[in-house]
Amino acid sequence: MTMAISEENVVETTAVARRPSGKTLWLLAPGVLWMVLFLVVPILMMVYVSFWTQTTFKIEPTLTVKSWVTFFTSDTYLGALWTTVRIWLLVLAATLVVGYPAALFVGLFVKNKTLSTVLLVLCVIPFWTSFLIRVLAWRPMLGKEGAINMILMKLGIVTQPIEVLLFSELSVIIGMTQIYCVFMVGPIAFMLGRIDPSVIEAAQDLGAGFWRIFRTIILPLSMPGVVVGAIFVSVMVLGEFATSAALSGRKVNLLGNIIVTQVGSLKWAFAAVAGVVLTILMGAVVAALLRVVDLRKEL
Amino acid sequence: MSAVLQLKHVAKSYGDLRALDGIELSLPDNAYISLLGPSGSGKTTLLRVIAGFEEPDNGSIFFGGRRIDGMAPHKRGIGFVFQNFALFPHLSVAGNIAFGLENREDEPVSDQRVVARKVRDIVALVGLSGLEDRAVTQISGGQRQRVALARTLVTEPKMVLLDEPLGALDANLRSRMRSELKAIRERCGVTFLHVTGSEAEALAMGDTVLVLDRGRIAQSADSDTLYNRPASPAVARFLNCYNLFSGDVVDEAFVCQAGRFAVGGARLRAREPAYAIRYDRVAIRAKDAPVSPEEIRIEGNFVASEYSGAAVNSFFTLDDGRVFEVESHLSHAAPETYSAQARYALVWKREDALVYA
Repeated sequence: MTMAISEENVVETTAVARRPSGKTLWLLAPGVLWMVLFLVVPILMMVYVSFWTQTTFKIEPTLTVKSWVTFFTSDTYLGALWTTVRIWLLVLAATLVVGYPAALFVGLFVKNKTLSTVLLVLCVIPFWTSFLIRVLAWRPMLGKEGAINMILMKLGIVTQPIEVLLFSELSVIIGMTQIYCVFMVGPIAFMLGRIDPSVIEAAQDLGAGFWRIFRTIILPLSMPGVVVGAIFVSVMVLGEFATSAALSGRKVNLLGNIIVTQVGSLKWAFAAVAGVVLTILMGAVVAALLRVVDLRKEL
Repeated sequence: MSAVLQLKHVAKSYGDLRALDGIELSLPDNAYISLLGPSGSGKTTLLRVIAGFEEPDNGSIFFGGRRIDGMAPHKRGIGFVFQNFALFPHLSVAGNIAFGLENREDEPVSDQRVVARKVRDIVALVGLSGLEDRAVTQISGGQRQRVALARTLVTEPKMVLLDEPLGALDANLRSRMRSELKAIRERCGVTFLHVTGSEAEALAMGDTVLVLDRGRIAQSADSDTLYNRPASPAVARFLNCYNLFSGDVVDEAFVCQAGRFAVGGARLRAREPAYAIRYDRVAIRAKDAPVSPEEIRIEGNFVASEYSGAAVNSFFTLDDGRVFEVESHLSHAAPETYSAQARYALVWKREDALVYA
């Protein structure tokens, strides 16, 4: 920032035209400062700490790759990595399957803009309740004596309560899908709402049926929304630990849960390794998703 | 020339608004038809009803001998060119043009060589050669217009509906595309129905011009007849080249607020009596200049004039406050200068006026 000040003084006399852009750069200062202090420095620290020497009771700044070797040779850690990827893919697919048709309805088939806005706001209403309450509310729904099992048994559809509903991978996926679905619906509905209705009429006039139009026009034009939605959902699900802690009965361990546990037992180096792995994974996922669609064209 | 499209008593309402109020229409094959109407006259609705995007509440539509109302748009054999072109933004020029061939439900063309050949032919016809692989976001307005036309023409429709096709283009390009559109139509030999709000465009392009007024066809005629003999005061008003007076015919004279005009010219039947005199049939004279018995004279105060190259339009206010417009062609004489707020005599020949009664 001091650089910017001295440069400003130098150019002031010579290049009048550059002055506004030099001044507007100051708008970035609070954001840049915030991000450097609370994002860039912590990430660099995390990478650094992951190479520190961890003993049972303390951690020393002597560089070693021991924690990394432990992470990649341990079944627990690799298993958690695999579970994270698996849950992420399943939740991503589930939010897409549940969210896309809803977005299609709100964004494309509801012609009244006011009504579609109201419907999108309705999607956000669950956020009025805190995150933890929403997660925990699944327990009385999915439990052995929960609402779903009670109804199914009353109706005579099942005789024994379905135990797999709660404290399993399924309950984690159900919980996460419900929480993150709206982040998929929003961007897709937004992109679909931007499609000019006459483009679809033109395709009809040229003789294409609904599925053809969906495949060749609607889906490609909504892809930027799908990608943005997928980035939201992916970043949030990959970093999750609360839903799996609350709904899996400790049976599902995500990388997030590993980090929480390691930090809890002061194993900073292991936590840092898991953190770096998770960060790289998220970066790779976001980079891969951004390759699907050129978002620059949409802005 | 046989009738290719017939509309019988077609009506369509949106709530209380009667967008189409009993349209009777018969269009010839292989012709350029322009459909002229002020905004809100129902011209887009009429086009959408013919295309099949809207269904009429009443009446029937026949196309090539078949009844087509109630039929899906693409089964009608009628192409539609949208006002904003409605190109598929994610496809290339060739992709847009090939869309109908590849994706239609009835007999889609799966042989890529056939598609490529048809696309190549139509691209040459509309003059887009060399741009096939461009994205439609990277071409100019005129070129997008051609893509929209080619995309429809490649499916070989028997008729093409164009919804204000030149509206999105700048003035310069618009006049060039006019002749271009006519040439393209002649090359493929189908009927074009061109909707426009511009009287100049309608007169310049149409072999037949239809005028739509408040949901009804007010007149269907060739350009010359339409311009010289508008069928009703409403049509005359919309052509934007007539001074109109409303009043009544009393004893072989038209009586209105501006005065009493002896009737001598053409008389046309209309519900509301009106007197119409073309802007360019009026002479401006000094207040005390002599008048022959064949001439009609009123007085007005000069307000301003507007120079447009070939002609100059002068505006006068009459005693009742109405604006009276006079168009003087500069090939006849050098432009006169009039002084503002001065009083002049406005004179025309009796037989040049149209009387509606």
